[in-house]
Amino acid sequence: MSSAPRSHQTLGDTDTLAFAKVLADAGFGIDVGAVSVHVRSDSKLFARQLQSVYAHFPLMDRAQWADVHLTINRASGFRRLIRPQVILQCDGRQPFEPFPANAPLPLFEWGCNWMIGQRLNDLLLLHAGAVERDGLALLLPAMPGSGKSTLTAALSLRGWRLLSDEFGAFNPDSGTFRALLKPVALKNQSIEVIRTFAPNAVFGPEFPNTRKGTVAHLAAEPDAVERRHESARPGAVVLPKWQAGSPTRWEPLTENVLFGALAFNAFNYSVLGATGFRSVVRLVRQCPGWQLVYSDLDDALATIDAAWPQVRERQLAAGQ
Amino acid sequence: MRRWGVTQYARTEGILAEPIGDLWAVFCPTSGETSLLNNESMAVLEVLEAGPAGTAAICGALAEDSGESIEALEGLIEACWAQLIEMGLVRELRVPRTMLG
Repeated sequence: MSSAPRSHQTLGDTDTLAFAKVLADAGFGIDVGAVSVHVRSDSKLFARQLQSVYAHFPLMDRAQWADVHLTINRASGFRRLIRPQVILQCDGRQPFEPFPANAPLPLFEWGCNWMIGQRLNDLLLLHAGAVERDGLALLLPAMPGSGKSTLTAALSLRGWRLLSDEFGAFNPDSGTFRALLKPVALKNQSIEVIRTFAPNAVFGPEFPNTRKGTVAHLAAEPDAVERRHESARPGAVVLPKWQAGSPTRWEPLTENVLFGALAFNAFNYSVLGATGFRSVVRLVRQCPGWQLVYSDLDDALATIDAAWPQVRERQLAAGQ
Repeated sequence: MRRWGVTQYARTEGILAEPIGDLWAVFCPTSGETSLLNNESMAVLEVLEAGPAGTAAICGALAEDSGESIEALEGLIEACWAQLIEMGLVRELRVPRTMLG
């Protein structure tokens, strides 16, 4: 587990060529909160893509511990000439097929998430977007295509602190959520929705024709990067469902639906055994839950904002 | 009931159960699986906490607690076994008559 690094130089401040050299030689460490990742790569393009979405992250000291080690290198031989590719390796394994050489960033993000899901078994990793306000975490667990990432991104651009787009990382010992702060991976129409919603939002390049269609990564806000070691107590759970043309619907969830949404949609629930079970029971007892069906993003956010004081009061009362 | 003995059921040790809304979340430590059970299945597991028992004994215990007739309970309980065994929450024991005292 990573601890707060002490470095003032950020990735965005660094000259791209100098950074590409560091990346190729010693590699580069990114501390995303609950975990730190070390990556090496001979792809100069990857250096530039990393800088576009991790600009506010400090450069880590080489000596610092990294939980996950990855390499992303260009394929050798003739594959450098014909449809060039990049290959991801972790612990000597190649868990994914190579990606086109112009798409190292999505390969890195998927590889990183996969490794975090495999490795981080001291935390319960719920498959959920997670944001924070008033020291409380709002979880957005959902199946792909539900609008989870779009809603998480929109919240993070309207005053909620992004903890993670992919992981609700719950620490069973402290009873708090930790940040796994990586760029929000938006797909297809969601990219334009968020560009329109927040024209100043910082995106990396768009990658068309991936397995999930077109993907673009939204950089985390500077405040979220600065505060990535701050934990958040459980607040509430919202199960989002984007439905074209639907009016906003906000309905309370029963405890058993909430339990299923958390436990049966987690990355490592079964690995954690009884600890995972007790953690989810604790969250169900602690957190009110709602289903949010929406098509209008502004209206969805207003609905969450309107419900939040009730959540804050309930959690405040429970904490006293 | 079989010619050579009777069937009893034993609850798997170390099961964790918590009420979740109108269902029960039950964690089985041997399989690592979590299941959601209704009240009838959970009642069977609670009776089995005292030790292995057959359908008749369980129906007797539950009839006493619930006021339902044994006949009405028998169908419900018989329907529970396959699922509880598949979930790893109980196991079937074939007990020779001579061991039943």
